Amino acid sequence: MSPSSPANRSKDQRFALLAALALCGFLLIVAGLMRLQIGQHDYYQRLAQENRVRPEVLRAPRGAIFDRTGLLLADNYPSFNIVFRPTPAESAQRMPVTSGWLARVGQLVEGDTTRLKTLVALANASGQTAVLRRGSPFAVAAAVEESRSDLPGVEVMIEPIRHYPHGELASHLLGYAGEIGDQELEERADQGYRPGDLVGRTGVERSYEEVLRGRDGAEFVVVNAWGRRVATLREGPPLKPVPGHDLVLTLDLRVQQAMEEVMAGVDRGAAVAVDPRDGGILAMVSRPAFDPNEFARGLSVDRWNELAQGGSNPLLNRAIQGAYPPGSTFKIVTMLAALRAGVATPATRLKPCSGSYAFGGRVFGCWKREGHGSLDFVEAIQHSCDVYFYQIGLRLGLPRLEATAHAFGLGDRTGVDLPQERKGLVPGEAWYQRRWGSHMRKGLLLNLAIGQGELLVTPLQLALLAAEVSRDGRPLRAHVVQAVRGVDDFRPGRPSQPGVDADETAWEALHRGLELVVSAGTGTAARVPGLAVAGKTGTAQNPHGKDHALFVCYAPVEKPTLAMAFVIENSGHGGSVAAPLAGAVLRRVFGADSLARPPVVQAPDTSEVIRGD
Amino acid sequence: METRFRLPPVDLPMAIAALALLVIGLLMVFSATTVPGAHQGLWVRQLLWLGFALCAAWVAAAIHYRAYESLAYPLYLLSLVLLAAVLVVGTSAMGAKRWLDLGPLRFQPSEIAKIATVFVLARRFDAPRLDLTRLRHWLVPLLITSIPFALVAKEPDLGTSLAFPVILIAMYYWAGMPLGQLALGLSPMLNVLLFFLTGSLWWFGALFVGLVAAVRPKLSSLLVVLALNGAVAYTMPHLWEHLHDYQKRRIQTFLNPGQDPYGAGYQLIQSKIAVGSGGFVGKGFLRGTQKALAFLPMRHTDFIYSVVGEELGFLGALTVVILYAIVVLRGFRLALAARNGFASLMTVGLVSALFYHIMVNILMTIGWAPVTGLPLPLISYGGTALLVNCVQLGLLQNVALRRQEY
Repeated sequence: MSPSSPANRSKDQRFALLAALALCGFLLIVAGLMRLQIGQHDYYQRLAQENRVRPEVLRAPRGAIFDRTGLLLADNYPSFNIVFRPTPAESAQRMPVTSGWLARVGQLVEGDTTRLKTLVALANASGQTAVLRRGSPFAVAAAVEESRSDLPGVEVMIEPIRHYPHGELASHLLGYAGEIGDQELEERADQGYRPGDLVGRTGVERSYEEVLRGRDGAEFVVVNAWGRRVATLREGPPLKPVPGHDLVLTLDLRVQQAMEEVMAGVDRGAAVAVDPRDGGILAMVSRPAFDPNEFARGLSVDRWNELAQGGSNPLLNRAIQGAYPPGSTFKIVTMLAALRAGVATPATRLKPCSGSYAFGGRVFGCWKREGHGSLDFVEAIQHSCDVYFYQIGLRLGLPRLEATAHAFGLGDRTGVDLPQERKGLVPGEAWYQRRWGSHMRKGLLLNLAIGQGELLVTPLQLALLAAEVSRDGRPLRAHVVQAVRGVDDFRPGRPSQPGVDADETAWEALHRGLELVVSAGTGTAARVPGLAVAGKTGTAQNPHGKDHALFVCYAPVEKPTLAMAFVIENSGHGGSVAAPLAGAVLRRVFGADSLARPPVVQAPDTSEVIRGD
Repeated sequence: METRFRLPPVDLPMAIAALALLVIGLLMVFSATTVPGAHQGLWVRQLLWLGFALCAAWVAAAIHYRAYESLAYPLYLLSLVLLAAVLVVGTSAMGAKRWLDLGPLRFQPSEIAKIATVFVLARRFDAPRLDLTRLRHWLVPLLITSIPFALVAKEPDLGTSLAFPVILIAMYYWAGMPLGQLALGLSPMLNVLLFFLTGSLWWFGALFVGLVAAVRPKLSSLLVVLALNGAVAYTMPHLWEHLHDYQKRRIQTFLNPGQDPYGAGYQLIQSKIAVGSGGFVGKGFLRGTQKALAFLPMRHTDFIYSVVGEELGFLGALTVVILYAIVVLRGFRLALAARNGFASLMTVGLVSALFYHIMVNILMTIGWAPVTGLPLPLISYGGTALLVNCVQLGLLQNVALRRQEY
């Protein structure tokens, strides 16, 4: 410490500064007290005497959801709740709940008086507002509003409820938002949720909850003993509601509608359409579906149980939560893995198919009992010859097959921006070790090569596989939200899988083979005149009932703009059940009027769309 | 008077003022909890706690402060463990994890951490040949304070966590750090603050250059301060730009919870109405009429001063302020009188923490500070807080008893 430095200031001086600071602080308090208790005393006195102040919610509208062309998929809708708002317990002006009052209110809200009485008693005890009737018709709300002066405490509160104009359409993808429950309220207490708030439960509504949800504002109003608003308090900063952000989805309503129509007759199954140019999801259907409006309005316990526990589970989004054996659609992966590894070329001919293949003391059948005879690789995929692929599987071995499957993102979450996606399963050597405690037997390899065995994929993974094949293996990130209005730097994530490297010739052979599947192979039901479609059928055996029918495809082959996957549970063959559905969607989407119409990238400004509140 | 009874040399004005505040506190808690409601009758528990707290204060005063000096580091480490435990297994109230539940006892480890930090800092600053212009001498205390600060801020409890920098600044200054140097050492904090206020780094940059020119710090100190500020300057805008709107809003809510209109915002307005309607002489003890306050859960804890303002009026509220001023000013005075370095430094640390709490709570009650959820020392309901406050005062009397010792 140099003697000249101010650090040598005497302790007295330092004490003086600290004491002065403290004194200033206390004087500040005194100034504040004088202002409040002397200067503004009259004003606050008046507020305290007969009037009450309470916060009035200024609801922030939840963000709307649009498809990529700007068409509305979800918005808000006003709902009239008849509520009882208690006056404070000590208030001299508290109205006694008379039987006349009860009768009038009961008549208005069409409820029985005993229930009303309990609700009112509860509200009085807790100081919390009680909802006497939820979602009442406008006429009732108007009647209540008219007779408010005779019915102290009773009010009409307008609360937004979520509205999905297209009902069941894309219900799994959109999800639903409903009034927050008690338990959730507790869990999310630190996020500022209050009773009556909407909260996203599934789908986009849930994964983008924080973005969609705005922040409620409030004004403080002075009310008299009858709950009538007397004035607005000019206190504190104005708390304006901050509306939630609108979402623009990658969804294309045209494609979605086409797919919904085609899938309408399906009992259980799912279909996904992906844009192979960017991984955006164009359509997603899961059957059976539900009407999200039902949830938004509030569901009775019975109805909930019916939906949640009914055999087919309509709440399950089979497109991302259903894991199915891929069946022969997996031959795409097997073929590419073989071509990459060099264990075969597109012209390779193996032992001719006689309808079955003997290996390790077992006979493995081909789906075509009569056999396919001698085929090259392209013909083998065109006709989905099992025997050819058995032999390829043996040449390839598990690690290389597994590696290519993973490179396409199978066995891993795609990272799509929807909640609770399943991973599926691509078993590897390590998996068999864990599961069976032994090496994989070679016989299993034969099954894996044709997509049977332990393999499990989600319909979304299949659609993404088709999309990535269509663009020669370059990886994609599946996503649903294209843009968030008001957030300029919103971007979908990067692909989580590495993508697949392979020679030009390999891709060319695969595209040719898959195109032949549709033009002259197992998938002719998906043919569309004037459109080059590439696809692959699949029929997945499963122990519970009939086979699952699968089909994946992309089109137009030369410049793909649409890739799809269909999985129809327990329905039969891919070629006869799933492929026709794909064909129907393709015809609708690439039909004369809509052919080559480029999807809109930036949606038009629809901020003028009238919202519910 | 022949038989001379000699009172031990406690700081009498401080003791009397503190006792008066405790009595007022008990009366106010009584008043706030006689209204029918969930908290009715809580004042009895407060009374029991008060007895217990006074005993604890006695013990805190009786044991020689040298014992605390030697216990400083273990206590500090213990409090860090407790703070970490809160984050893992703590009980949340109002969306923040602040409490540890030990059977019948629920307490906020941040209270212990404050005292422990004061002990450790006092010990460090009491070192012979202390030179706070030297890097090692000022950087280590900064780090020591930063850890509990960060842990408490993470709970999140911004209000309490800011007591740590207040303690540090006061003790730096009392230990002899020149003001310019102080500003320089705290510049990273200033940097963040100015960035949030102005949205640009230029303001701080200009200020910083001026500061360096005025203080002319040692090279090592300058380098560290530059590095810290560089890190801040690099990360802040970066961080801010990568936040989405809703995330930014969250930060703003964290900084000012009064923005929440149904919780804190509503209470703020009710509190102002209560205080303002109290007028000059108040409505009289037990005669507060601000009925809506009965709807508030915190009138006996964080907003107790609004009951003082309403029932005892400006005169009562002013009395309380004067009593607090006596405690605080006598406290600083005690630090000046104490000959032992550790004792003197400890006094400044404890008093400044107390002062900070008083200011933040009262200014909140009258609407001049954000709602932070800090209780009013010695007055608010809350057993462990009362206990800790009394122990703090006991420690001050401890110093008073031994102020002549070196």
